[in-house]
Amino acid sequence: MSNAHAAPAAGTYNQDNPQPHHHGHHFESNEHEFSAAKQGMWLFMVTEVLMIGALFVGYLLFRLRFPEAFHEAHKELNVKLGALNTVVLIISSATMVLGVSAVQRGNNRRAVKLLIATVLCGAIFCTVKYFEYSHKFHEGIFPGGNYRFEGLTTPHVPLFFSFYFLMTGVHAFHVIVGMSLITWLIIKIKKGQISKDYFTPVELVGFYWHFVDLVWIYLFPLLYLLG
Amino acid sequence: MSDQKGSHTHAFGNDTGDGGHHGHGHYIIPDATIYKTLVALLVLTGITVGLSYVHLGTFNFVIGIVVATAKALLVASIFMNLSHDDKSNSVIFASAFIFLAIFLSLTAPDFLFRGDVFTEGKQIMLPVKGISQFKRPWEPTPEIVAHGKAIFMQQCVACHGAEGKGDGPAAAALNPHPRNFTSAEGWGNGRKPSQIFKTLKEGRPGTGMASFATIPAEDRWTIVAYVETLGPTIEKDSTDDLKAAGVDPTKDTLGDTEAPSIPISTAMKMISKETDKDGHTGNVEPGHESLEGYGERVEARTFNPNP
Repeated sequence: MSNAHAAPAAGTYNQDNPQPHHHGHHFESNEHEFSAAKQGMWLFMVTEVLMIGALFVGYLLFRLRFPEAFHEAHKELNVKLGALNTVVLIISSATMVLGVSAVQRGNNRRAVKLLIATVLCGAIFCTVKYFEYSHKFHEGIFPGGNYRFEGLTTPHVPLFFSFYFLMTGVHAFHVIVGMSLITWLIIKIKKGQISKDYFTPVELVGFYWHFVDLVWIYLFPLLYLLG
Repeated sequence: MSDQKGSHTHAFGNDTGDGGHHGHGHYIIPDATIYKTLVALLVLTGITVGLSYVHLGTFNFVIGIVVATAKALLVASIFMNLSHDDKSNSVIFASAFIFLAIFLSLTAPDFLFRGDVFTEGKQIMLPVKGISQFKRPWEPTPEIVAHGKAIFMQQCVACHGAEGKGDGPAAAALNPHPRNFTSAEGWGNGRKPSQIFKTLKEGRPGTGMASFATIPAEDRWTIVAYVETLGPTIEKDSTDDLKAAGVDPTKDTLGDTEAPSIPISTAMKMISKETDKDGHTGNVEPGHESLEGYGERVEARTFNPNP
């Protein structure tokens, strides 16, 4: 790297020739800097757990309160599409972590391919979700007071769909944010701003992406399977 | 896949730090571990989906949550690398779930065992007596039937079903079964509007059919109109039938034949909330909360929910 030959002029860095990283002066080393950033990311994910957790608690309580309505309502969801999205997200988590490992070994080209695969998985997830939502809207299944599906009029059924749209909506928003962040990573790698000495953004965005997967791991059985 | 070789190496190899006091570096997850984890996650997903087709009652829920948690632990410990990370990060992440558990365990008993807050709310929101929406509500119009259907879909559908066939979700638990409105057979009080009205007002003792006298009389007539449309034929009342049901057919409204009523238990709670400045409670003296005739109904105008 920088100690092997003279640093190239600014602007000539790329994924095969990343720029050297100099850690902040208040850190002892690159590793020290990375650990601090990582702990911050874990703290942020705690706040995410508590936010989504409030929705889970609300959902569980109303499910216990109105078991028949929630049982009837969950049958309207398409288990096959839900399972497909689960598989897609799990695969995307694997490509993400493979990408992180590739960066850490200095193989930026491989990392870029894996990150593109991850974004594509996210796009497949969103497309499937789009078809699920539009099918529901077409039937007249809207959240809250706008519910007007004639085929299922058990009391409190609209409550289930309010939770369904809110929880999957918040989750889908996270997927879109994650896809944007990974796209940003790809650009950074291409510009040579990521190396095996500095991969903090890659690993932290990876955590975020795995967290999104983790939320779906619970959403899928709770909403689609265990009515 | 030359990456796979030496996958137990560490990043930060070229760290410019002075001295080697950070010798452990950063653990790089071997690709083989990632592939094995991926397979495990997919197998666990298959198990969850497969089990959803086997009906095990509560066990479906328990197994579903256990499998999801196993998957979550795999993702957190391997993909998010908590197994090789500083322990403090595991503690931080686990703390979120501990607080979530406290949140759920304190909220659940309060929410689930507080009593029937939902029905009580409905009863207090009775329409103010004397305001009628329909002229001659005992004579069905499309508007009256639509109004009755709306109430039916809230109040009746759980037992009688969306199509009135007596096959609602709660019907299985009831013996005798709820009335099938699409058949003319077996009607205890008869199928005339005044007779259905009587059933709605008084209920059917010995069956699951409760009194719906809490619903104002005008709204009850609209339900009757809707129930008539479900049957094989639409019955008519004679003038005498209507008079017996408390309707004066020469007038346009129901008049003052019947006050809307609410259960005494609800009334007691409402009275006890009317506490005066000295801290004395309305009409109820301490120790007399359990009145004789508990379960009967009192007239709603005895106290005014909207003073």
